[in-house]
Amino acid sequence: MKNNIKIQRAIKDLTQEELANKIGVSRQTINSIETNRYIPSTLLALKISEVFETNVNNIFELEESD
Amino acid sequence: MNKTQKDLNLLPPVFKKIAYGIMFLTILFAILSIVKVLAIDKHIAKTISMSFFLIALLLLAITRSKIEDELTLRIRLKAFAASFIYGVAFVIITPFINLLFDGSFLLDVGVEQLLISMFLFYFMMMFIMKRSR
Repeated sequence: MKNNIKIQRAIKDLTQEELANKIGVSRQTINSIETNRYIPSTLLALKISEVFETNVNNIFELEESD
Repeated sequence: MNKTQKDLNLLPPVFKKIAYGIMFLTILFAILSIVKVLAIDKHIAKTISMSFFLIALLLLAITRSKIEDELTLRIRLKAFAASFIYGVAFVIITPFINLLFDGSFLLDVGVEQLLISMFLFYFMMMFIMKRSR
């Protein structure tokens, strides 16, 4: 699964730390999600989409291998 | 406290200081017993030291860090699983190692030593996985 969290953060002018604080996780977790080393739970994905005020499908996308 | 922190029922961070305190006092007790400042039977001193050291390690293992989220929970569970597998492998492989070096097919490691090594393995795995997340 791939995501465009980095782009969404740039649009909203948020650092990883700020996004992490908003959704109650560590900065390292946000970094792991952005670099596709960790796939977030549904709850976390929905929280992220709420911060970016967009649909979760606009942030996360399934890949062929999924 | 978020839902993940509530679900885990981990101890508050203050218990880390308590654990280090117990560890320090245990090591001090052991040293004083070895140099015979404290007149305690060697086996009793060893049992007391091992038990309190295990309590300290357990407290460290079940105390939450500053931020506990779903990724740290996953890392914890992986580290626990890895230390359990290590424990089983240790019990199975040690007699063969003893056979090679001593010629006797025995497991002569105590339960306390095994548990302490499992805890240390758990902490090592936590450290490695947290660094590479």
